[in-house]
Amino acid sequence: MTLHDVPSEPSSARLPPGELRWAEGWARRLIEHAACKAPPALSARLAEEWLADLPARRGAIARLRFALGCCWASKVIAHELGAVLGATATSTAIRTGALYTSTGPSFDSRRSAVSFLIVSLHVLVIYGLAAGMARTVLESTPDRLQVSLPKAPARERTAPPVNPQLAPVDVQVAEQHWALEVPLEPVAVAEEGARTREFAAASLPPPVKRVLGGPGAGFPNTADYYPDASRRLGEKGSTLVQVCVDGSGRLTSNPTLAQSSGSARLDTSALRLARAGSGHYRATTEDGKPVSACYPLRVRFELKE
Amino acid sequence: MGDRGGNVRLSFQTLKVLEAFLEKPTGELSGADVHKRTEIASGTLYPILLRLECAGWFVSRWEDIDPASAGRPRRRLYRLTRDGLARTSEVFASFGRGVPA
Repeated sequence: MTLHDVPSEPSSARLPPGELRWAEGWARRLIEHAACKAPPALSARLAEEWLADLPARRGAIARLRFALGCCWASKVIAHELGAVLGATATSTAIRTGALYTSTGPSFDSRRSAVSFLIVSLHVLVIYGLAAGMARTVLESTPDRLQVSLPKAPARERTAPPVNPQLAPVDVQVAEQHWALEVPLEPVAVAEEGARTREFAAASLPPPVKRVLGGPGAGFPNTADYYPDASRRLGEKGSTLVQVCVDGSGRLTSNPTLAQSSGSARLDTSALRLARAGSGHYRATTEDGKPVSACYPLRVRFELKE
Repeated sequence: MGDRGGNVRLSFQTLKVLEAFLEKPTGELSGADVHKRTEIASGTLYPILLRLECAGWFVSRWEDIDPASAGRPRRRLYRLTRDGLARTSEVFASFGRGVPA
């Protein structure tokens, strides 16, 4: 009997109802495939035997496990019997015990050895990690890594090829001279009637000619305001009074003492003189026009011999 | 491992298979019947049955039924040989367990 002569069960007895039918189909295909991998003298027998035992397993998972187990069983049987059984072997050989004449190590022993080797490797790795082997490896890593890179071959720099179709063109650029002329004229600024500051400023507006004012026509005589006591005592001095005068020569505010002469009498008389001169001041002019301005007025009290 | 002299490596699963047959030494069991008694997976069970058969401990035959009338395929039935029964008795006797007559 060959594998294809295996009688099949009626569908009512072989296939369970419902969702287990797909598992039955897969299991049967796996079993037939596994039997084909067995020694030829046994493949038909094993296929019929396993297919007959398959319905005894209940449930889809159990049948699939059974079929997968048959795949493993066929490998074991082929390994143990393959060296003995040939294409001409018969079932008689099985009954006479001729199938187990192999003198090599058994498959189970080899499998046990492989399992022992795998377990030993795991134990060794775990022990190595626990004993700090990994830490030692990390500590032995050098702090600096020196990498030597091969030098790139020096490339010769050559001029790009000249396009023969382009004729050289002479470009002439006319030389131009740019001159920036900025008028730098000294500007005279009269301040306090004595100080003059000169500076050049190109961005400033045109200078203004300013002429400070002073005592004008009809201004009282200083001798008239010389205190009598000071004449008797021989006091003399110079008092500086700050006056503010409008364009008509009148005081716009009371004069103030800017610098004392050292004598209160002389200072008081100087302030009286400054107030009395209102309307007789010469106004300050800018470009000839009278303007209001404040300026110091020197009052000198001197005794003539 | 079995050989012509009947020597078989007696693993734990092999002893369980032999123990299943000792329940009725003259009876016949299929692979499915042995699985029900021992719960040994098929990947281990069938090589053991074939190994014991090759060693002369078992003999096997096809179930004598008509698959068409029975509605199921015929099974492969295993039975202890006289020599297999004697050897099995010796093995279990060494473990202190008797064999039913």
